[in-house]
Amino acid sequence: MPQVTPDYVLLQVFNGLVNGGFYALLALGLSIIFGMLRIVNFAHGTMYMLGAFVAYYGAQEIHLPFFAALIVAPVIVGAFGLLLEVTLLRRLYGLDPLYNLLLTFAIVLVLEDLMRLAAGALGSPYETPALLAGVTNLGFTEYPAYRLFVIVVSVIVCGVVYFVIERTPVGARIRAATENPALTRAFGIDTSRLVSATFAFGVGLAALAGVLAAPNTNVTPTMGDSVIINTFAIVVIGGLGSIAGSIVAGFALGVIAAVGAVVYPPISNTLIFIVMVLVIMFRPAGLFGAAERAA
Amino acid sequence: MIAGRRGALVGVALLAIGLVLPFVPGVYIVFAIDLVCFALVAVAFDMLLGFTGLLSFGHALFWGGAGYVATIAIAHGVTSFPLAVVAGAAYAFVLSAAVGAIAVRRSGIYFAMITLAIGEIQYFLAFQLDDLTGGENGLSVTTRGTLFGLSLENDRVYYYLVLFVAVLGTAFALRVANSPYGAVLAAMRENESRAKSIGYDTERFKLGAFVMSGTLAGVAGALYAIANRLASLDAVDWHTSGTIVMMTILGGIGTIYGPIVGAAVFQSLDFFVSKTAIGDKTNIVMGLVFAAVILVARRGIVGELLRALAPRRPLPLQDDDLPGALVPDPS
Amino acid sequence: MNTSRFCLALAAASAIVLPLGAPLGVAADDGPIKIAVITDMSGVYAALSGQGAVEATKMAVEDFGGKVLGRTIEVDGIDHRNKGDEAAAKAAEAYDGGAELALDMTNSATALAVAGVAKQKHKLAIVTGAGSSAITGASCNRYTYHYAYDTYALASSTGRNIARQSDGKTWYGIVPNYAFGTQMLADFTAALEPEGAKFIHADMIPLGNTDFSSYLLAAKAANPQVLGILNAGADTVNTMKQVKQFGLDKQMKIAVGLLFLSDVDALPDVFSGSRITTSWYWNEDKPSRAWADRFTQRVGNGVRPTDIQAADYSATTQWLNAVKAVGSVDADKVQQYLDGHQFNDFYAHAAEWRARDHRVTHEMYVVDVLDKSKIKEPHAWFKIVQVIPPSRAFRPESQSKCVKDW
Repeated sequence: MPQVTPDYVLLQVFNGLVNGGFYALLALGLSIIFGMLRIVNFAHGTMYMLGAFVAYYGAQEIHLPFFAALIVAPVIVGAFGLLLEVTLLRRLYGLDPLYNLLLTFAIVLVLEDLMRLAAGALGSPYETPALLAGVTNLGFTEYPAYRLFVIVVSVIVCGVVYFVIERTPVGARIRAATENPALTRAFGIDTSRLVSATFAFGVGLAALAGVLAAPNTNVTPTMGDSVIINTFAIVVIGGLGSIAGSIVAGFALGVIAAVGAVVYPPISNTLIFIVMVLVIMFRPAGLFGAAERAA
Repeated sequence: MIAGRRGALVGVALLAIGLVLPFVPGVYIVFAIDLVCFALVAVAFDMLLGFTGLLSFGHALFWGGAGYVATIAIAHGVTSFPLAVVAGAAYAFVLSAAVGAIAVRRSGIYFAMITLAIGEIQYFLAFQLDDLTGGENGLSVTTRGTLFGLSLENDRVYYYLVLFVAVLGTAFALRVANSPYGAVLAAMRENESRAKSIGYDTERFKLGAFVMSGTLAGVAGALYAIANRLASLDAVDWHTSGTIVMMTILGGIGTIYGPIVGAAVFQSLDFFVSKTAIGDKTNIVMGLVFAAVILVARRGIVGELLRALAPRRPLPLQDDDLPGALVPDPS
Repeated sequence: MNTSRFCLALAAASAIVLPLGAPLGVAADDGPIKIAVITDMSGVYAALSGQGAVEATKMAVEDFGGKVLGRTIEVDGIDHRNKGDEAAAKAAEAYDGGAELALDMTNSATALAVAGVAKQKHKLAIVTGAGSSAITGASCNRYTYHYAYDTYALASSTGRNIARQSDGKTWYGIVPNYAFGTQMLADFTAALEPEGAKFIHADMIPLGNTDFSSYLLAAKAANPQVLGILNAGADTVNTMKQVKQFGLDKQMKIAVGLLFLSDVDALPDVFSGSRITTSWYWNEDKPSRAWADRFTQRVGNGVRPTDIQAADYSATTQWLNAVKAVGSVDADKVQQYLDGHQFNDFYAHAAEWRARDHRVTHEMYVVDVLDKSKIKEPHAWFKIVQVIPPSRAFRPESQSKCVKDW
């Protein structure tokens, strides 16, 4: 173990915020989708992977700069998600959400394999953008500039999404459609368009996380596999459907896992699941879950 | 549930196939053994999903966990096959009781997530405790043990033993389904709050179903690991849990015989496709097949078949709306 | 009514049975001799071994003449999909269907699984693609040989090469906390000790960890002369990416325990500047290059063979030579011939099929991974810095943990 000093712990907090940023973005997207559509999107990790690959192919084929990819990838993957929702997921809305969970599971199998055929299983190279390469001095340690960028972007995006959903008229409509679709429709609001747009948006958030991940982690077709289970856990801890819950739980669990690795390393990879089980046992609605509406 | 004469007929047909399977040209005996093991775990899984509507995404906990315990037993000198299997089943029994106690208080997505998460915890344990489990290399043993002195190394002998256990397991599942216990489970499925108001402790019933399902899955998993003389991490991986779900749905939730068919079709497709020219695209094929089933043939092979044969009497479990499963339960 | 239901059921039943494949070939004594190349055809090891391994094996068979003992030789490629139980089942099926040799088994879990089956069936298995020392250690058996590399050879070659130098004495280890990692750390530590070098610290990193930043920052602060990266697969990629991000490669030497040509082909920028050990390099000398050219022409796409694919060719040739010399495919007889047999070919220099533990020993090569700007032709990633003789590369017989069952 590296020396456990206050500086080291602070360093771990920063690392935790980076990981937490990813968790938050992914959990946010998943939570929004669940809140609106009651779909547990098993393919969320796959959308994350697609975001990274759009960035990769963009860079390969048209020299798409990283900063442009941050916008382009979510749009493209969001549009793809829209397509999936309209053609496939929509058919099962009248049924038990179980079926859409399983359908998204099948989608994972197909998409991951297709990607593997296209890109190979070994990993595709993606470089840290030159502007963000290198370390900055934080005072107590040197820290890669790119990681700071990830923290900043994830905090800003989460903050903006929270603001939009909780404080704007558009957000109010989304919340209304989530709470009571029939009544919302009675007010003349086209809920099905709202639903599709929401799904595309949630998926776009996952893709954004994927682009952010590309410079730091190996871009492979199965990279989504390693995030999806953790994301489920975060969403449950925060409260299914709760925006604030996903954000807070994401960052918090990222930091807790990182600091936990200092205290007792072997536990760090299972900490999230242990916390999740405890939350379900003692506070099933999640930390921020609202009082549940009738099924 | 397939009741009465129709049920008996399907059962007999499946049994007949099971008996002659090793002699069918082109069927490799070890593949047949694996197939029967998967059929049994799918039946076990259906005892939970079909009986209670609870979707577990962690049955690899019992399948794989029991497989490890059985293999570890043999690795540590246990020469009795029944003892090894019982060890695995005992582990599955205790684990399912513990997990069930936590999980069945929730329903729907929360239930699925708990099982998934605990499955992941077991996966990491299997990986890390490599002195015991072999870690990422898996745990190999050199014998299948003996059954009252009879050696089980002969594949054909082992196959019929596994078939025998599978038939017993299936019969047990059917017995439970057609018992008063099963009737209460059916009632709970229809309308849980009403069942509660009559006075049934619905949680205890769900726990019972979970434990039966988990233990039977453990038996199947122990048989499987011993068949291959190997316990490997794949058996405790959540993808395997997903595979078990797929097989059962493919065959038909709630039909008990359906999952057997589902497992057979799934394994055959998987094994067969992986040997063809498009062998490296097996996952795409399986994913597309599964997606197609979810979209247009939700009752699964046997479910749809039965529906076609008796359109005027839909089976209680074959309604499109599987009640109660995935919406968060406020209680 | 009943009969039609019964017929329907039977029909459904036969539908299940039908897709189960064509009849298996009967293994007669004058039928073809089969070699089963069991490998990962579609996953992370497909580029390292995969279809290329099957082609290499076929090349060996063709170069041998296509026949031995008057029987034709068939090569079957089998995908184990990186699952131990699937490897075991398919190996058993292959052996029962007439295969006399199982080859390759890239991925240690599958190698160990197939080794177990080989022992059951009394047929030979030659492992090329896996690295676990257990194959010639605790899990050794009469019918299994370990041909290409293992964790000990990697550690002792890379470790000692760097530790010999005056600026290679202090090491910081990035080690994954599972069997492979702990074994690599032990082997590297043992290799460093005689040269007066040691690990000033080794981080045992939990499984599932993708963020190495805290460990790398600690390494930066500790300022060792060498950073030893002893993990594998995606972990190595993530570690190296983050190493470059922190600029650690400018501060210290980078030693990577396990790396292959195919990994560098996929991600050249990530691995450039590291020092590794390989069992063979396609451009190491004229005979190797000649064979590599033939391979590349056959497989197409300008792809160069990896050391594992070359090992498969070599192992096939050597096995066929043995079969011919013994006059039989009987595994016991071939094993007795092979034990202690010495040979030399373009892949394995100064080689021996060691009788003590079935470790096939040969020269190993310590190489530097070149930067994209420095390579002289496509795929020429390696520069050999030292040739390690077999006596120093592999675990000494006296230290072998193999309890011989023969």
